[in-house]
Amino acid sequence: MLIYWNHKFDYRVLLSLATLFLAAISAPVHGEDLNIHQVVENVWMVQGVPEELSEENRGDISNSSFIATGNGVVVIDTGATAAYGRRFREAISEYTDEPIRWVINTHHHPDHIFGNSAFSDVPIMALSETRNLLMKHGDFYLKTVHERVGRYSEDTVVILPSVTVEGGVKSFSGYPLKLIRFSGHSGNDLVVYDPLTKILFAGDMLFWNRAPTTPHSPGIDIWLEEIDRLAELNPAVIIPGHGPLARDSGPIEQTRAWLVWLDSLMREGVAAGRSANALIDSDIPELLSDIPMAKFELTRSISHFYRKYEDSWWENSNR
Amino acid sequence: MRSVMVFPGLLFLLLISISSAQENNTNQDKDPLDSFMWELYQDRYLSNAPVHFDSRVKITAPDFAEDSGQVPVEIDASHLNGKFEKMLLWVELNPIPMVFEYNPGTQGLAKVGLNIRLEQGSPVRVALLSQGVWHVGSTFIDGAGGGCSTPGIANSGKNWSKDFGQVRGRRFPAKQGSRLRFLIIHPMESGLLPSEIPFYIEELKISSKGETVADMKWHASISENPVLTIEMKGDERTPYKMKARDNNANLLESQI
Repeated sequence: MLIYWNHKFDYRVLLSLATLFLAAISAPVHGEDLNIHQVVENVWMVQGVPEELSEENRGDISNSSFIATGNGVVVIDTGATAAYGRRFREAISEYTDEPIRWVINTHHHPDHIFGNSAFSDVPIMALSETRNLLMKHGDFYLKTVHERVGRYSEDTVVILPSVTVEGGVKSFSGYPLKLIRFSGHSGNDLVVYDPLTKILFAGDMLFWNRAPTTPHSPGIDIWLEEIDRLAELNPAVIIPGHGPLARDSGPIEQTRAWLVWLDSLMREGVAAGRSANALIDSDIPELLSDIPMAKFELTRSISHFYRKYEDSWWENSNR
Repeated sequence: MRSVMVFPGLLFLLLISISSAQENNTNQDKDPLDSFMWELYQDRYLSNAPVHFDSRVKITAPDFAEDSGQVPVEIDASHLNGKFEKMLLWVELNPIPMVFEYNPGTQGLAKVGLNIRLEQGSPVRVALLSQGVWHVGSTFIDGAGGGCSTPGIANSGKNWSKDFGQVRGRRFPAKQGSRLRFLIIHPMESGLLPSEIPFYIEELKISSKGETVADMKWHASISENPVLTIEMKGDERTPYKMKARDNNANLLESQI
């Protein structure tokens, strides 16, 4: 009966249903100390802990993913250290025999790119601005990583992306991936969408159950507009830059709610003349207050943004 | 009847215990931060009078400096309003530790906010001289921000020259008067970097109706483009003028 249910039967539907089921029943595999989850049959993600870089967490704080395309593996983000990159590579070889042929860096932040140290033999793709930013700030970021992660960051070096890419659909030996250029989180954010599996590799454009970081955001308004465009993709699975993978729109809703709150807190606070410290001490709304790192990221965001909000308040009221 | 008698008695005991607890709070003479630098600064800045660590002298600051060039610090010692002659703020581990010396004059209240530079994680102290005693408040600010912060001090970019000297003034009604807020476009160069010569605001005066009502001495550990928040006794109809002078004799003014 089920077999004749649709004469235009698409095997991929059954395949993805089966893998959904598998992923639901299988506990995360902690092979090589990495928290690896199978997303669909040919896609895996490695989940970092919702913390800042530290020696205790060995710098394993961001998410990485890989796709076995049939003709080679695409790696998306490489983690914060050479050691992570090496463990990640080993793990990949346990799940697939395909060679690693492409690495994509979603953006230039240290927790996502220093695992490049272990992928220097593979073409590493990124936006040209990402490459430039890494060229400019890489040494400073590396110093920060060494200071925070200590001995677990040994051998970590700056490996710049070797191939610059633009947005658009790109064929990885026949496997199409849509690369979309955004800016909201870091100024230059490359999001990867897999139209076959409907998986969105959001990079740090989306966070889930880990408060969003904002240091290089060009503006919360820009980020929010871009989140609306991400939502229009209507992905079946979202792999955020930090936090667990989602099979619903959880990361979109939560990142949006956090940013909307942060924006109104600063706009209203600045208009009322509340100080930066008073805003840092604000009560975080109930639905957001339990997110790990909420208070920490609130402090950081107010530190970065307060002056910008005050400047734009001044410009608007003195036109 | 008996219970009616017991209740005021209990209340009395309770009040006594609260006031003695406060007494304990205000009369500590041991550094709550246990800093090895404390005595040096006590000798240097406070040697003329005895010192009490006073928990009601509050310094509010972020737990850590995300941008070490711009750390917002606020002081609130409202219980000493009208009762202090001087306020000092310093950062123990800064190359230029002193931030400001504030003379509240006839109208200044004990509420001040300013953005400061932080060379590294450090104890930050404020001391108010009141009736022959220094009342000291302390906090510690961690120097390390988030993992992908860029270095704040190196960030300045020297774009100040276009708007140099511009002052934005705002005012708000406050509990006990008026809160004045001034943003001053000025590089506040310390001269500590080899490429710089000292170029910073040294003196700031608040006046009303032609009379100076409070003044401050500033040092180069105040951030580039300083933002001063300061409370004055006058109500919303009291006019105020801020006049700042740098070490090159530039005058920067704002009337609100």
